[in-house]
Amino acid sequence: MLETGAVADPRPLAAVLVPVVGAVLIVSSYRRPALREAWSVLAAVTQFGIVASMIPGVLGGTGYRWSMGEFVFGIEFALQADALGLLFAGLASFLWIFTAFYAAGYMRELEEHGQTRFFAAFAGALAAAVGVAMAENLLVTFVFFELLTVVTYPLVAHDETAEARAAARKYFAYLFLGGGVLVLGGTAAVYWATATYGGAPTVTFGATASGLEAFFAADPWLARLVFGALALGFGAKAAIMPLHSWLPDAMVAPTPVSGLLHAVAVVKTGAFGVSRVLLDVYGPALAAAMDVNLALAALAAVSFLAASVIALRKDHLKRRLAYSTASQLSYIIMGVALLTPYGIVGGLLHIPAHAFMKLTLFFAAGAIHVETHTDHISELAGIGKRMPLTMSAFTIAAAGMAGIPLVAGFVSKFYMLVGAVTLEAQLAGLAFAAALLVSGVLNIVYFWPIVYAAFFETAGDADAKPLIESPFGGRERTTASDSPVQPIADGGEDAGYAVDRAPSDAEVPYGGDADHAHHGGPPPGGWERRQPWSESTWLMTMPIAVVALGALALGIVPGSIAALDLAIEVAESRVGEALSGVIG
Amino acid sequence: MTDLATLPALLVVLPILAAALPIAATIINRRVGWSVAALALAVEAGLTAWLASGVYADGQRIVHRLGGTELARPDGGYAVGIELVADPLSTLVAGTIATVSLVVLAYARQAGPRGNGFYAGYLLLTGGLMGVVLTGDLFNLFVFLEITGIATYALVATGDRPQAAVAALKYLLIGTVGASMYLLGVGYLYVRTGTLNMVDLARVLAGTATWGEGTWLAEAGALYAEPLVIASVAFITAGLGVKAALFPLHVWQPDAYQEAPDTVTIYISALVSTAAAYALLRIFLIVFTPAFFAETPVAANAFLVFSVTSVVAGSLLAAAQRNVKRLFAYSSVAHFGLILTAVGVAVHPAAGPTATRFAIYGAVIHLVAHAIMKAGLFAAAGSFAAGVGARTVASYAGLARVRPVIAGSIAVLGFGLVGVPPVIGFLGKWYIALGAISAGLWPVIAVVLASTLLSLLYVARILEKLYFDRAETPEVDQKDHPATDPTDSAVAADGGRTALPSLGMVALVAGAALLAVASGFAGAEVTTAIDPLVEAVLAGSPEVGTNA
Repeated sequence: MLETGAVADPRPLAAVLVPVVGAVLIVSSYRRPALREAWSVLAAVTQFGIVASMIPGVLGGTGYRWSMGEFVFGIEFALQADALGLLFAGLASFLWIFTAFYAAGYMRELEEHGQTRFFAAFAGALAAAVGVAMAENLLVTFVFFELLTVVTYPLVAHDETAEARAAARKYFAYLFLGGGVLVLGGTAAVYWATATYGGAPTVTFGATASGLEAFFAADPWLARLVFGALALGFGAKAAIMPLHSWLPDAMVAPTPVSGLLHAVAVVKTGAFGVSRVLLDVYGPALAAAMDVNLALAALAAVSFLAASVIALRKDHLKRRLAYSTASQLSYIIMGVALLTPYGIVGGLLHIPAHAFMKLTLFFAAGAIHVETHTDHISELAGIGKRMPLTMSAFTIAAAGMAGIPLVAGFVSKFYMLVGAVTLEAQLAGLAFAAALLVSGVLNIVYFWPIVYAAFFETAGDADAKPLIESPFGGRERTTASDSPVQPIADGGEDAGYAVDRAPSDAEVPYGGDADHAHHGGPPPGGWERRQPWSESTWLMTMPIAVVALGALALGIVPGSIAALDLAIEVAESRVGEALSGVIG
Repeated sequence: MTDLATLPALLVVLPILAAALPIAATIINRRVGWSVAALALAVEAGLTAWLASGVYADGQRIVHRLGGTELARPDGGYAVGIELVADPLSTLVAGTIATVSLVVLAYARQAGPRGNGFYAGYLLLTGGLMGVVLTGDLFNLFVFLEITGIATYALVATGDRPQAAVAALKYLLIGTVGASMYLLGVGYLYVRTGTLNMVDLARVLAGTATWGEGTWLAEAGALYAEPLVIASVAFITAGLGVKAALFPLHVWQPDAYQEAPDTVTIYISALVSTAAAYALLRIFLIVFTPAFFAETPVAANAFLVFSVTSVVAGSLLAAAQRNVKRLFAYSSVAHFGLILTAVGVAVHPAAGPTATRFAIYGAVIHLVAHAIMKAGLFAAAGSFAAGVGARTVASYAGLARVRPVIAGSIAVLGFGLVGVPPVIGFLGKWYIALGAISAGLWPVIAVVLASTLLSLLYVARILEKLYFDRAETPEVDQKDHPATDPTDSAVAADGGRTALPSLGMVALVAGAALLAVASGFAGAEVTTAIDPLVEAVLAGSPEVGTNA
């Protein structure tokens, strides 16, 4: 039991089942698109309502629990609503409401096939994500974790092209490696360890720490190995390096999927799982004693720096956003892995903060794709004229990602910085803080060109973008006109470097650039000027605006949205001391 | 309750006697075979349910002594006659056999093959399987193994293509060699101990027999280290390993499963290897007990090596197959490898009481789970073959659009094989993994966890083809399986729907999928039901359950 006063309540189960019922209704309304979309919205609103109704009680100290009884020997199939779970569940269900509208607009504008399967699988994914959030023990988490992978597979393979199938295969391989192999092994190991060393076998959150402490005392390296298996297993879904490469490929999915699932629901379940392992399975005291938390934080720091650097070279907008997601997810892992109170608050607050910002960015990318068929940054020059509201929202969200005040990303990053410098190992703490600041700069470096190009350039008059266009290693020539070094007269093609003669799949879309003919970009006369209310269908602009405003709200008044309170509640209860000086 | 004591005998005898009826009834009406078989199997299912209610009421052990009580246990000791034993373990498997027989018969009504000879063979096979499961005597087990085998060889040979005869012959040769090995092993045991009854054998081998003082029958001390006993274990394992298709003794299985008629494949994949694996489980756990393996650890290790190799080799070979039935056959090799790995862990010297408990749970649950899932998958393969003539993975492209229920069931059952909860395939894997971790057997842990990805190799291929690929042309694989009966099998040139698959066929497929998910939540009930087996093994007692 996590909360001291957990009452039996069917609401956790209801929150998981409502989208399942919604999925059934969606499938049965396959002939009437308006009704079908309405079921999505209704299910989302209902789910959010159920989750939100539990927040006041949880903040007051009561938990809500539902149990089916024994599932396997010694483990119950139980769902429990506590602060950490509600933070994630509330976020996912709230954003689903707006994604439902956005997806409706997106799929209709593009006249996509298989829309019933899409919306039904989407609902299933939200059911599984909230199931992960509400799980009472590691095994139930595992059940919903695997179901989430299964149910999002059709969404990744939606396009039914060879590229989509390949991406979906990679998706399966990485996520079943993380889930079905590592998390399963880790869960079974925790069960065995608590049975052998702790007296009573358990995998319930909050009850495993004492048994694992004895396990660590008896066999330290095996205990660290089990921690590593669990952390990497959940981390695979959070796109931590080196298990991140499924995420950029999964961008082949329709943008609502990339937005809600692969920036909010699916990858956040991975980060959520890592948080549970650190905070509830091992507990901050034991994890710190095992010295594993700093190793994990270091891995996360390397991960977010490397992902940011890779993002610099991506011309495909969604792929750049994918690497940005991988980077920001590692912020969450690093923040929680610091295990200082402020670090935990910062890391957990980054879950909703990043969600709002990244969803805005993906919504914008999708709107650009739908309206102008433009996918590449090099073709975005001047698009602020055509889509002012979209690009304004993009700018706000991008500013937040870099940590600029007044947008959500600043609040969480601030707490993470405080958490880093208050680390007991001072030097390590300073290194982590420096990494965070460097990453903030890198965020600006890869987002600013997009904003600049959109608003401050015109279609025919764009500056060169050396980061995107130049080959690795540079060109072997100078720009000085009277230099003794002759410029290479090779017809403009830099065929001197192997990386340019044979670019990897990561650079060239599957099947070669010829297949993905850049038919995006401005029409011959340049972009036409549109007003915010006429730039796209309301189904898409409304969610963009609302979610961007949400990101602003989280940045300006974080205390009045439950997110900060829940994060503080979690941090205080796990670390055992009240936090002072937080904005409340 | 003496009523219940006759049930085990009835369960074995009824199908065997009923097997004569379809042939005899031909003189009245040629088309009566299915009805006779259905009636017989329905009665069988009812009797099994009755028996199960008695056994599981309080973990009882119901024994039937063939030939009456005078033949059994004179002088307060050993059995002279043959005993049929219905205890919590054997009743579970008997229930599976009765249910699957009846359900597959419903499938066979439309799917064929028809003919009174077929139904006679079907009933004979059911009787043989019931005998394997319910017998308490090692030589009697051999007899029923042979009955099962001969019936299976005949049923496999009824396939359409000439290759079916070759497959049946291959199965016959290899299966007979296996059965002979088993017989050799039993013979050595008889020479050394003088008894064939499983309970008595266990006692003599453990050195706790209470009869024959002063004669060669009363041996002091355990016989586990005797050369004859060790040799007999090897022979019995080899023999039953052939029947359960353990790598590398599995070579008969892919051909037999591929060439047999689709209905027959469902039946034998679900039950025949299951019965052999059950026999191996029983003999290892009850007759030899973990104490034997504590004396001879190399036996346990060698057995684990073979089962673990089965898992890996079966999955890899399955991933390379083009024909769907062959793919599922290799998948069976892999999953029986998993079940026998659990048996190996349960008897391993390194396994403490918790490891043994969990390994036994895993072995039994996965035994039944695999039967359900494989039956459903082969039924789906048969439905696709009958409906649109699709027999290869490539020809499954885009079929989910045309047959959504069957495709959805394949997805559910496929994920069960991979081990996605809450489908029942996960439960067995969880317990096996837990057992291996409790025993600290690192290679086994690695392979059990990796089996998720290994199964995914072939399951994901099929699902991707079904849902996310488009069929260019309606494919009939003339090379692999020419349409023999144009009226009810081959795809029409327009790829349109035919009368097949019938409602019964689809119901079996969907029912298997639903049962797989529902039983995934019934783990607690199943472990409670087989607790008597665990208690018996941990206590070293050869009697599972309390005597009625």
